Amino acid sequence: MPESTALRVNGAQVTVTTEPRTSLARVLREQLRLTSVKLACERGECGACTVLIDGAPRMSCITPARLVRRDVVTAEGLGEEAHDLQAAFADHGAFQCGFCTSGQLVHAAAILREELPAGVELEPFVRQRLSGNICRCTGYNGLVDAVCAVAEERR
Amino acid sequence: MSIGDRIRPIDWRERSRGTVDYAADLAAPAHLHAAVLRSPHPYARLLELDVGRAERMPGVRAVLTHRDFPPDALYVHRGGPLSDRPPLARDVVRNVGQEIVAVAADTREQAEAACRAVRVRYRPLRAPLTIAAALAPGARALHVRTTGERNVAVRWTADWGDVAAGRAAAVHTVEGSFVYPSVSHAVMEPNTTLAAWDAEREVLELWTSTQSPWFIVKEVAHLLGLSREQVICREVAVGGGFGAKSKISEHEVLAAALARKAGTPVLLALTREEEFAANKPRHRFETHLRTSADADGRLRLFEADIRVDNGAYNHMGSSVMRVGVITLGSMYRPDGVSFDARLVDTATQAGGQFRGYGTPQVSLAVESQVDELAERLGIDPIELRLRNLGAEWTTTLCGYEVTTNRLGACLEAVRDGLDWNGRRADRTPGRGLGVAVGMHGSGAYAYEFANRADAAVDVYENGGVRVRFGGADAGTGQRTILAQVAAHELGVDPADVDVLSMDGEQTPFDLGAWSSRGTHMTGSSVGQAARELAEKLKDLAREKLGPGDVVLAGGHAVRGEGSVSLGDLVRLSPDSRDGVLSHETSYVLEGTEMLTPDRDTANLSPTYAFAAHGAEVQVDRRTGKVTVLDYVAAHDVGQAINPTLVEGQITGGAAMGIGAALGEEIVREGGRVVNSAYVNYALPRSADLPRIRPVIVGGSDPAGPYGAKSVGEMSIIPPGAAIVNAIYDAVGVRIRELPATPDKILAALAEQEGRVRRFGLWRRPDRWWVALVRWAYPRGLHHVLHRWGTGFGPGVGPRPDEADAAVPAEELVVADTVSAATAALAAGGVVVGGGTDVLTEARLHPSRPSRLVSVAELTELRVLRWRDDGGVEIGAAVTLAELATELAASAPAVAAAVRTIASPQIRNAATVGGNLVQEKRCWFFRNGFPCYKRNGATSPCYALLGDHRFQHAAVGAHRCQAVTPSDLATVLLAYDAEVVIAGTAGRRTVSLADFYTGPGETVLGPTDVVVRLCVPAAALRRRGAFEKLALYTGDFSTASVALTAAIDDEGGWTDVRLVLGAVAPTPWRLTTVERAVDGTVPRVAELRRLVDAELDRHGHPLPGNVWKLDAVAGLAETAAERLLTTEGVLR
Repeated sequence: MPESTALRVNGAQVTVTTEPRTSLARVLREQLRLTSVKLACERGECGACTVLIDGAPRMSCITPARLVRRDVVTAEGLGEEAHDLQAAFADHGAFQCGFCTSGQLVHAAAILREELPAGVELEPFVRQRLSGNICRCTGYNGLVDAVCAVAEERR
Repeated sequence: MSIGDRIRPIDWRERSRGTVDYAADLAAPAHLHAAVLRSPHPYARLLELDVGRAERMPGVRAVLTHRDFPPDALYVHRGGPLSDRPPLARDVVRNVGQEIVAVAADTREQAEAACRAVRVRYRPLRAPLTIAAALAPGARALHVRTTGERNVAVRWTADWGDVAAGRAAAVHTVEGSFVYPSVSHAVMEPNTTLAAWDAEREVLELWTSTQSPWFIVKEVAHLLGLSREQVICREVAVGGGFGAKSKISEHEVLAAALARKAGTPVLLALTREEEFAANKPRHRFETHLRTSADADGRLRLFEADIRVDNGAYNHMGSSVMRVGVITLGSMYRPDGVSFDARLVDTATQAGGQFRGYGTPQVSLAVESQVDELAERLGIDPIELRLRNLGAEWTTTLCGYEVTTNRLGACLEAVRDGLDWNGRRADRTPGRGLGVAVGMHGSGAYAYEFANRADAAVDVYENGGVRVRFGGADAGTGQRTILAQVAAHELGVDPADVDVLSMDGEQTPFDLGAWSSRGTHMTGSSVGQAARELAEKLKDLAREKLGPGDVVLAGGHAVRGEGSVSLGDLVRLSPDSRDGVLSHETSYVLEGTEMLTPDRDTANLSPTYAFAAHGAEVQVDRRTGKVTVLDYVAAHDVGQAINPTLVEGQITGGAAMGIGAALGEEIVREGGRVVNSAYVNYALPRSADLPRIRPVIVGGSDPAGPYGAKSVGEMSIIPPGAAIVNAIYDAVGVRIRELPATPDKILAALAEQEGRVRRFGLWRRPDRWWVALVRWAYPRGLHHVLHRWGTGFGPGVGPRPDEADAAVPAEELVVADTVSAATAALAAGGVVVGGGTDVLTEARLHPSRPSRLVSVAELTELRVLRWRDDGGVEIGAAVTLAELATELAASAPAVAAAVRTIASPQIRNAATVGGNLVQEKRCWFFRNGFPCYKRNGATSPCYALLGDHRFQHAAVGAHRCQAVTPSDLATVLLAYDAEVVIAGTAGRRTVSLADFYTGPGETVLGPTDVVVRLCVPAAALRRRGAFEKLALYTGDFSTASVALTAAIDDEGGWTDVRLVLGAVAPTPWRLTTVERAVDGTVPRVAELRRLVDAELDRHGHPLPGNVWKLDAVAGLAETAAERLLTTEGVLR
C-alpha cells in the first residue's frame, strides 16, 4: 500500500511516497533526483549507494525507506566537508569511471569524522573501512592515499 | 606544455561528487522501463512462445519477440559465417540467460511481472557445457560450423619460424596444462541503454554505456533496418568498461526496438545478476603447452594446444583466440612456435571482449613455464627473462614490428623495487617472490577503418577550446588526455578545454576505445587536428602581427612583443561560423596490417607496450590462503601523457589481474551461473590488496603520439603468472589453474606433506544412507530430481499464474512492543530487523508474504545491558557495529569476529538477532536454483554435484549441504550464550547450542521473536580467540574457529570451548577435544592432533571440500596460538 513517508534528506524535510519494500536508494534517485546514489547491485554488496543515516554509512539500496527515522545525507549534501576530499580524490587518482565514487566519498567523509582508534595505523584502518565499497577501476591505491592524505592534513 | 603533467580529470568536481549523468540517471526523456525474459535452459528447442497475457498486463507498453525482427536477423559481430546470434531467440536457446522476450512497461516491476507471464514451452536438449563435453564423441552440436568439426567454430593451426631447429636445440622441456577461467568484468555500472524513437523524423537516439558508439550504431541500424544516419548516440557518462562495453551487447538493440515499438523512450538497465550471468565474460582458455630451452637458458620452442571456450555464440571469440595465441610468438624470440588452437562452442553465456583479450590466458602458461625452466636450469627467473628478451626494431615471429622495447628496464625496476636479490637470499618461511612479463599492442588493426581516427577541434570567441571525438571514455581518462593534447598544441590551459565524445551528430568518425587504442589513435587524431588548427591560427596572427615566428601560449598567439588572443583570431577568421573556428581532420595510420582469417602473422599495432610485474606473497600453510604483501608493476609506456592516469591504469589492471589470480571465476552448474552476485564473487576489496607500486619506465616511442604507448590492457597480463610463480617460490606448489584459491593450495600442500584423511565410514552406520544417496547422485539421481522432481515443487519465484493474480496489499508493521510483534506475526509475516536481507530476498524471490514486521525500534530489543554479576544481555536489535564497540574490551574475540562480518555499512544496520537467524548462504539456495530447501523434497541439492568447495558442510550434512552462516553464532557459542525468545505463548530461554536445528534453521516458530542474548560472566572472564578463513574481506566464513578457555597463571587451561563454524550444518563444538585439553597446558601440535582426530571421526566431506577440514584444523592451531600468547588477546 503506498503511503506518504517523511524523510529528512540533506538538511531538508521532504515527503515521499513509499511501498513497504521501496528502498531508500530508489526514493532518493527517483523521487528526489539525488542520482549520486548509484544502483550497482541492489543487494547491499558493493557500496555504490552508500549514504549517511544519522552520520553512519549505510547501504541505501537495501534499506526500506519507511524504516528510516534519522537524517539522510548523500554526496550532494556533503557540502564543503567534501571539498578537500574531492580535490584529493582527483590528485591521487582515486576515481576513473566515477560510478562508485560518490559512495566512496560519502563513506570517506564519515571515516574522516572519526578519531583514529589508538594503536591503529591509518592506512590499514582506511583499507578495512573502505572494504565495503567496491571499486573495479583503480586498485584502491588512489582512494586510500586520498583519504589518508586528507586525514593527515586535517589532523 | 601539458604533456606529461599530472593534471586532474577534466570533470573531477562533478565526477567525484556523483553529479555526472550515467544512462540510468537521465530524467529526460521521460521513459518506460524494460526487462528481459531469459532462457532457464542451457540448450532447448522453443516449442511455443505466447506473449498474449504479458501484453495485457498492467503498465505494459510493448512486448518484443523474434517476430519483431526479420526471420534471418543476426548480429554482424565479426561478420560472414561467424555471424550467428539472433537479437531474440527464435526456435532454439543455447545458453541459460539467452534473451527470448523483452518488455517495456511503466515500471520495472511491471515489466518483470510481464516477463513472468509469458508462456514458453521448451524441449530441453542435451547441452555441451564444457570444452571437454563439446568435443567428446557423441556431443550434440550447437551450430553448423564451417570448420567441419563438431562444436569447433574456428580452428587455427600454424608453425612460425623454424620449429625443427627449435626441437633440435631443445635440452630442457617442460610441459603442462593451464586453465585461465571465465571471469567477469564486474563493471560497477551495469550495462544500460536509454533509447528514444522520433517517429516523425525517423531517428533513433541512444544514450548507452559503451566504449564504442560506432559499433552500437552499426549493429542497431543493421538489426532495426535503419541507415546509420538514423541512429544517433549521445554523450553520457560510462561507468567502467574493461572491454565489456567495447562492442555491441544485447541491451542496446532491445531498448531501441522497444522504444520504436512503444513509441515512447525506454530504459533497459541490466541487473547485477544479469551482468554476471547473462553478459559476456572473459573466454576460458585451456592451454596445453610445451616449452623448450637449450642448456644456456635460451628459449627455443613453444608448442601449444589451445582450446578456447567460445560460449554459445561467436561475438569476438575468433579474434580473442588469435590475439591470445599470438602471445607465443610476440615477446620472446624462440626458433619456432607450433600451435593448434580451437574455438569451442559450449552451451554457456558467450565470451566477450575483456581487457587483455586472450593474452592473460596464454601468458599464464608461458610465464609459468619460463619459471619452471629457470628452476630446472638453476637460473634466476629475472635473469632468464633478461637473456631471452626480444630486440628493439625487429619483427617477431607473429609479425609484430617492434619499435622501442624497454622490457629489460622493467625487469630491472622489479628487481630493484622488490629488493629481489636481498629477499631471495634472506627467506622468510611461507613467503615467496614471483615475476612475469607481458607485451601488448597500442591499438589493433582488427576491423576495417581501425587504422583511422578522425577528430575535430573548435576554438571559441571567448578563447575556450573544445575537442570532439567519436569514441567514448568509460573511465580511462581519455577525455582528459585529449584535453591535454589540444591544450599542448594550442597553448591554452587544459582547464579551458572542453571535450565532447560519443555524439552521432557532432563528433567525427572514430571506432572507439578498445584494443588499447584510445591514446594512440585519438591522441594522434586530436593532436593532428589541433596542430593544423594552430597553423591556421598562426597564419591569422601573422596577418595581424606581421610575418615571422608565432607561438601559441597562454591563450594567445605571440610574436615578439606583440600578441593577440585566440578569441580575437576566431573573430578575424573568415572560416569562423557563429563565433567558432573549427577544424576537422583524419588520422590514418600507415604500416599496420589487418588481422584477417587468411593470414597467420600481421603487424597489428603501430607500437607495442611492455611490462614486468613482481609480487611477494605470503602463503598460510594452515589454510592455503595467499596474501599479496608487495607488488611492483613496471611498465614501458613510452612517454606518459598524464602519469597519474597511467599509474591508475597500471594499478587498476594489476588489481584486476590479482583478483583473477586469487579469487575470481564464474562458477556454473548445469550451465547456469551460480555466483551471480558480488557477495559470491571474490574480487579484491581494498583490504585484500597491498599497495600496488606502479613504475613508469621512462622513455619515448617515435611511433606514438608525443612518444606514448598503450597501458590500459597491458597491466592485466602479467599478474596471473607473477602470483602463481610467487606461490611456487613460497611453498613449492605449482598452481596451473586459476584462481589460486585456498582449496587448491591446501590440497596440493596436503599431498606435498603426505597428509591423508581416513573417515572410516564403514563403521559409521548413521552415515550409510547419506553415503548411498551421494553415490546415486552422479549416477542418475541428480538428473531425475533436477529434470522431473523440481516440477513438483512450487518453483522459485512466483508462478506465471500468480503474476497477474490479485496480490494482497503489502504491509509494514512497526512493532512498538514485543507482544505487538508476535501478534502481528500470528497473522502471517516475516520479521525485519536491520533490514539488510528483506529487500534482496523480495526482489529475487517475489512470491512473498505480504506483511513485514519491523522489530528494530523495540526499546527492549535495542538495549545492551551489563548485569551486576558481570554478564551481559544483548538486545536482539543491537546492531553489529554497536556490539563490536561494546564488547571491544570485555570480549575482544567477539568484537574481532563481528568486524569480519560483511561491511561497515552492513554492520551499521544489521542486528544481532538478524545475524543469528539469517538463512543459509548456499549460493544455489540464494541464487535462484530450485533446490531441495527452496522447492521441496523432490528437488535435488545442487551442492552435491555443483561447486561446494567453500560454502558447504564437510561434517554431518544430510540432504542439504549448507551451513549456518552466522559468525556470531560460532563465537557466541564459545561464550555459552543463551537466547531469549518471545512467542505468543510467552518467553523461553534456550542455549545457543540448542537454538539451531539445521543450516541457518532455528527453533523459532512463525510467531517467535528473538528478544536478547545473554552471555554469562564466567564466559566473559575466559580468554578468547576467533579465526576465520574467508575468500575476501567481509565474506562469509569458508571456515572459522572460536576458542575460549580460562587460563591460570601456570598456563593451564580449564573451561575450554572449541567451536568450528561453517564446516557442519550448525556451529560445532568439539567437546572431546575440550575435555582432553581441560586441566592441561596444551601444546599447539597436540591440539591440532586432537582436532584432526575428531575431524576424521566425524568428517563426511564432499569430494571438493575435504580441504576445509585441513583449513579448519589450521585455524584451530592459529586460535590456540593466540590464546597461548598474550598478543592480541587481553583476557
